[in-house]
Amino acid sequence: MTVIDLITRVDAICKKYDKYDIDKQKAVNVAGDDAFARLYGIVDSEIDAALQKSEAAATEKNRATAVAMNAEIRRTKARLLEELPKLQRLALKKVKGISKEELEARNDLVYSLKDRVDSIPDGSSTATKQRFTSEYFQQTEESDRFRQEYEMRRMRQDQGLEVIAEGLDTLKDMAHDMNEELDRQMPLMDEIDDKVDRATSDLKSTNVRLKDTVHKLRSSRNFCIDIILLCIILGIAAYIQCVEMRHNHEDYALPSWHMVGVCMGFE
Amino acid sequence: MSGSDPGKLISKADNLTTLSLTRWSADWESATRLYEQAANGFRVSKDYENAKLAFEKASKGREMLSSPWDAAKSMESAAALAKELRNWTEVIDFYRKASELYMQCDRPQFASDSLAKAARAVEDALPSDAIKLYSDACVLLEDDRKEQMALDLYHAVTNIYVKLEKYTDAVAFLLKLGLAADKCNATNSQCKAYLSAVIVYLYAHDLKQAEKCYNDCSQIDAFLRSDQNRFAGKLLSAYKEGDVEEIKRVAQSRSITNLDSVIIKLARKLPTGDVAAFKTNAAIGEGEALDENDLK
Repeated sequence: MTVIDLITRVDAICKKYDKYDIDKQKAVNVAGDDAFARLYGIVDSEIDAALQKSEAAATEKNRATAVAMNAEIRRTKARLLEELPKLQRLALKKVKGISKEELEARNDLVYSLKDRVDSIPDGSSTATKQRFTSEYFQQTEESDRFRQEYEMRRMRQDQGLEVIAEGLDTLKDMAHDMNEELDRQMPLMDEIDDKVDRATSDLKSTNVRLKDTVHKLRSSRNFCIDIILLCIILGIAAYIQCVEMRHNHEDYALPSWHMVGVCMGFE
Repeated sequence: MSGSDPGKLISKADNLTTLSLTRWSADWESATRLYEQAANGFRVSKDYENAKLAFEKASKGREMLSSPWDAAKSMESAAALAKELRNWTEVIDFYRKASELYMQCDRPQFASDSLAKAARAVEDALPSDAIKLYSDACVLLEDDRKEQMALDLYHAVTNIYVKLEKYTDAVAFLLKLGLAADKCNATNSQCKAYLSAVIVYLYAHDLKQAEKCYNDCSQIDAFLRSDQNRFAGKLLSAYKEGDVEEIKRVAQSRSITNLDSVIIKLARKLPTGDVAAFKTNAAIGEGEALDENDLK
C-alpha cells in the first residue's frame, strides 16, 4: 500500500465518522445557531481576502489591472460597510450559551471590524494622499489669497453699490419735488394762457377799430379840402413874398418876376 | 420832472387835494401822479421816511380813483420802505391793507402773497404776529383751493414754532401740511411732513406721542407705502430698544437729508435725553398689562 492510498483511506474514514466528532459539531453548531458569529466569520474572511488583493494591487506593474483591482476592493469595502449595521444588530441579540461579557465584547468587535474595513488600502487614498499632503500647503496659501481678494472685491462692490443707492435716493427725491413743482405751476400757466388769449383778441378788435377810424379820417372829401387849403396857403405865402419884393426892389423891374405881376394882379 | 424837488411835488400835490374856498373838489388824478413822482424821487435819494409817506398818500389817491390794484401796489412799496426803517407795526399794517385791496380786486393769491411777505419781514422780531400772518395767508389760499402754494407757508410756520420750541404746535402745522398735500396729491411732501412730525415728537422726547402720531399716519395709504414710513418705523424701534448707536446711525441715513433743513438739524441732535428710560418704560408697561390681566 502506498502512502497516497493510506492518506485517501484516512480521509474517507474521517469524513464517514465526522458526525461523531463532538468538538467539530459543536463548532459548526455554534456557528449555525449564532447568526452573529456566522456573519462575523464571513466578514472576517472577506476582509482578509480584500487585504490580500490590495497587496497584490500595490505590487502590480500594470496600471490598468491595478486600477481594476482597486475598484474591486472598493466595491467589497462598500459592501462590507453595509453589512456592518446588520452585524451590530445581531451583536445586541441575546443568544443562549453566550456569557454577558462576550455579548458586550461583540459590540467592540463590530467597531474594530469597521476600522479594519476602512483601513483596507484601495489605491485611491494611498497614492494621492501623499500627493495631496505635499502640495496641500501651497494650495492653502493660494486659496487664502483668493479668498482674501474675493472678500476685498465684494467689499468694494458693496461700497460702490451703496454710493449708487444714495445717488438714486437723491435723484428720486429731486424727481418727486420737480413733479410737485410742475403740478403747482400748471394751473398758473393755464391762467397765463387764458389771459394772453384775451389780451390778443382785445388787441385785434382794437386794431380793427383803429383802422376803420383812420380810413374815415382819410376819405376823399377830406383829401380835397386838404388840397384846397394847401393851395390857399401857398398863395398867401407867395403874396407875402410879393409884398416884400415890392418894398425892397422898387428900382428894379425884373422881367422874371412874372409871378410878381400875377401878385399885383391879385392885389 | 425828475429834476424838481420831491418835496415841492408833495406840497403841490397836497395843495391839489386839500379842499378850500377856491377848490371845491380834490383833483386826485394829478395829485396821485405827483405823489408817485415824489415817492420815487425820495426813494432814489434814500429818504425812506418821506418816500413811505408819499407812497401812502399815492395809495390813498388810487383808492379814491377806485383802482384798488394800483393802490395795493403802492401800499406794498410803502410797506417795503417801512421794512427798511424796521418799523414792524407799520409793516404789518401796510401789508394787511395791501392784502385787503388785493381781495377787493378778487386776487386772493396776491393777497396771501403780501401777508406772507409781511410775515417773512417780521418773523425774527415778532414771531407770534408772523405766525398769525402766515396762518391767514394759508386760509386765503385754501379758500381759493390753491393748497399747493400753501405748502411753503406751512413749512415756514413750522420752522418758527420749532425755533420757539413749541413742538406740539409745530407738529399740528406739519399735520395740516400733510392734509393740504393730500388734497393736491403731493404724496412726497405728505410723507415728508409725517416723518418730520414723528421726528419733532422724538426731539421733544415724547415717545408715546410719536408712536401715536406714527400709528395715525400709517393709516394713510400713501404714507404706508413710502420709504419715509420704513424709516420712521426703524427710528421708533431703535428708540424702543434704547439703542443710542442705532438711533444715531438711522438718523444719518439719506431719508433725513431730503427733509427741511430745520428738521434735519433736529434729527442730527437725536436722541435727546435718556433713551434707556424708554426701554425700561416699555418693559414696565408690558408687565403692568400682565398684572391687569391677572387681576381680572
